[in-house]
Amino acid sequence: MAQFNQFTRRDIARMLMAGAAGISCSGWMPHLAAQAETAKKNGRACILLWMGGGPSQLDTFDPKPDHKNGGPVKPIDTAVPGIQISEYLPGLAKEMKDLVLFRGMTSKEGDHGRATQLMLTGYRPVEAVNYPGIGSLLAKELAPADGELPGFVSISPFRFGGVGGPGFLGPKYAPLTVSGNSSDPNARADLTVENMLPPAHVSPASMKSRVEMLQFLQQEFTSKVAGEAAFSHQANYDRAIRMVETQGRNAFNLDDEPDALRDAYGRNRFGQGCLLARRLVERGVPFIEVSLANSGNVFGWDTHADNFNQVKSLCDVLDPAWSALMNDLRDRGLLETTTIVWMGEFGRTPVINPNGGRDHFPLAWSTVMGGGGLNGGQVVGDTGKAGAEVVDRPVQVKDFYATICRAVGLNPNKENISTIGRPISLAEAGAEAVKEVLRS
Amino acid sequence: MTSRLQFFVLQCGMILFVAGFYRSECFGQLLSSDVVRDVDLHAGKVLANWIDEKSQAQWDQEGVAAPLIVDDSTFLRRLFLDLTGTIPSVATAREFLDSTDPYKRDIAIEVLLREPRSAEHLARVWRRMLVPTGTPTEAMGQMIEPWLKDQFARNAPYDEFARNLLTVKSTDATDPTKPYATSAIMFYQAAGGNAEGAADSATRFFLGVRLGCAKCHDHPFAKWKQEDFWGMAAFFAGVQNGTVDDSPRTTIRPSDSDVEYTAKLLWEEETKLDGASPRKVFADWVVSEHNPNFAATAVNRVWQHLCGRSLAGTVDDLDQANAEDRAILLDGLAMEFAESKFDLRHLISAICRSKAYQCSTVSPDQLGGKLQVADVRPLKTLSPEQVFDAMEQALMLPVGRTDNAARFNGQRATIVSRMNEAFSDSPEDFSAGIPQALMMMNGTLISDATNLQTSRTLRAVVDAPFMKDEERLDTLFLATLTRKPSKREREVLLTSAKADGADRGTVFADIMWALLNSPEFVLSR
Repeated sequence: MAQFNQFTRRDIARMLMAGAAGISCSGWMPHLAAQAETAKKNGRACILLWMGGGPSQLDTFDPKPDHKNGGPVKPIDTAVPGIQISEYLPGLAKEMKDLVLFRGMTSKEGDHGRATQLMLTGYRPVEAVNYPGIGSLLAKELAPADGELPGFVSISPFRFGGVGGPGFLGPKYAPLTVSGNSSDPNARADLTVENMLPPAHVSPASMKSRVEMLQFLQQEFTSKVAGEAAFSHQANYDRAIRMVETQGRNAFNLDDEPDALRDAYGRNRFGQGCLLARRLVERGVPFIEVSLANSGNVFGWDTHADNFNQVKSLCDVLDPAWSALMNDLRDRGLLETTTIVWMGEFGRTPVINPNGGRDHFPLAWSTVMGGGGLNGGQVVGDTGKAGAEVVDRPVQVKDFYATICRAVGLNPNKENISTIGRPISLAEAGAEAVKEVLRS
Repeated sequence: MTSRLQFFVLQCGMILFVAGFYRSECFGQLLSSDVVRDVDLHAGKVLANWIDEKSQAQWDQEGVAAPLIVDDSTFLRRLFLDLTGTIPSVATAREFLDSTDPYKRDIAIEVLLREPRSAEHLARVWRRMLVPTGTPTEAMGQMIEPWLKDQFARNAPYDEFARNLLTVKSTDATDPTKPYATSAIMFYQAAGGNAEGAADSATRFFLGVRLGCAKCHDHPFAKWKQEDFWGMAAFFAGVQNGTVDDSPRTTIRPSDSDVEYTAKLLWEEETKLDGASPRKVFADWVVSEHNPNFAATAVNRVWQHLCGRSLAGTVDDLDQANAEDRAILLDGLAMEFAESKFDLRHLISAICRSKAYQCSTVSPDQLGGKLQVADVRPLKTLSPEQVFDAMEQALMLPVGRTDNAARFNGQRATIVSRMNEAFSDSPEDFSAGIPQALMMMNGTLISDATNLQTSRTLRAVVDAPFMKDEERLDTLFLATLTRKPSKREREVLLTSAKADGADRGTVFADIMWALLNSPEFVLSR
């Protein structure tokens, strides 16, 4: 690896091709009115509902009404006879036929940072490898090569530690981050991509002229100097310019939706984020992450104190948004091809602490999947009467990853090559998908 | 008569630029600076010639032609970015380009190396080496900069630099004779405030060996075992829960293990402490002339910073580089560096004078053509701070606290942190994504910069009477790209602008936008 001398001519042919290929002059603004196409036929998508902080399984999907660990939470029946969930989730109880509950999740990571890394990458933290997050992994496999929108959109991200990015896959697979740019509670739902609109003083004619000049300068530059960086720069601007031209195919104009539907999702950042996720799925974006962390609690689901009130208020946001999303996708024929994953970095202790809270608990906890690729209406795993351990059908994180891969139609053994030349499979080697929940 | 008048007005217009130039607290006259009077211009040349001989021998052996040397514009922009973190003002660029002094490149190198801004910039570069981008403790890493800046401003010998960092204690923070101790201690805090983090960071940074993997299990790809990691960590047993001290203890036990490891230096048979402070023994060993990796890792890092690539292996994994690669240039240059008493300024000066530094990035023709040219110089991506500083210079932004300067009012922080979200520690990678591009396209700073009402540079160019459009274009190019436009660029940009029938202000605003968004603005070639 004598880089000083060795001719590091990575892909000469490709560079020359790219240099020679003319850049089409961009038609400015006309795309603005372009109609939203429906998602690519057979295109699979995945929506991750990320519950940073670690949601309590006992007060959501694995209630323990007959044990003191269960606390005051009552169970309710669901659309599937024999399966009960928390009374905080009445909307989702009706959706049970399309949901799979994994009650036997188990891991060894009880620290937010390490556990977040494990759950968002499928691998335990090892210093030498910068593992890609699930969004980048799936976007790489599922995104169309010429998509007008990025393959991975992250809505109001909130997580412990700086993980979940593209890792060694590189910036091409980095998420486009969408955040509400207002702290006004009434405007919270105003989810935008920052700087997507050209400044007010710039006319469309000027913008067109600017982009044409830029493309000319790019061409001049790449004809004089060879280098990966110049092509990365150009590719990135092409994507950004396309986003501005098409205004993301109006994906971010939530005002286009009927008021009743916006209300059903909930007029809060998470609810509107779920609605935005549906709009992105319709426009062919294969991976969307929506984080639930607000509701006045900066640590999200990390309910070390006052657990029951906190969980209830989070569920008041979660339940309508998620059930509206299921219904909405179903109405549009997209639930069959869209897999929804609900998870945090770990669960919470069955024993209630003196502050009325629950602490970190990675030994026996719950995650949920729903929609595309799954035979819903099932429970996998059992944590017994007290919820202290998995007494039946434990599921490791890598197995959960393999199941997600299969649900979206991917082979979990597919490998990517890390920066140090080591092949890394989508799900860790030895992972086994939970076959009984997969639609064959 | 007309031309004389034009020249006069041009000069008046330039006064604005000169003013901007002083405000940016950069340099008086570059080439007539007092600084160079006391500098032996010959000293750096000897080592530069040595580098050139070694490089040429290698190119001959490979059967490739020596790369071309870049023109003055490219050299000046490159040098400013590498040594001061910003680009030259229009006035400085004109001064340099117009000068016929055959030694002007050497003079510029020596002057810039002694600018206060250079120490500030190098501190930022070294901070990113100490605490890589994306590390959760990156914010703490920034707090090491004052100590680093002091080291570079004094041109502290690099062995002293290492000893200083490796032996600083928490109690030094209250010692009035050690004003930068608080800052140096942040190295330990950023590494996690414990023995394992300190050993891991120190070994990676000073020796180019990543032992981190061997913390929990034997290294999967390298020869390092768990006992190697913990043997090194034992020297830092006094670093605990954020307190940095020397410990009389010379053993350490991992929190999840019953095994007690004894202090042992990497690649040594056994280590005798004889009652000395463990960290002092560690520091002595790191900087010792027998240590094969200390000087070589420093040289590898400096070379990568200046030339874009390391000389052998990667800077953090020199242990993985093969001996033949090291023998080409790295080990020899490391020896020279050690013999100069680890004089960093001398090393940087010599590299900047060498052909390897001053050569051009290969063109696509050279890549595909029959005549193979040495591919030595990659494109280098500007760091987030360099992008901001270059914009500040190009746009002649105010820099005073009372002027609502972008560097103080939060704009700089916003831009740097947004860019940091997608920044790679390898200068060859351009990692920015859509949010970063959108910020450069539509963000407030660029929006103001391309608005005649708010942009000083634009106003100075557009409002200057009697200036020809060609001269206006030259000035915008010099302000942003440190060069004049090519014939083709002049034709295309001025023609397309005129064709649209837009007014002059709009035309130049649009050109300004395109220049700031162009790859050449954020990639150093």
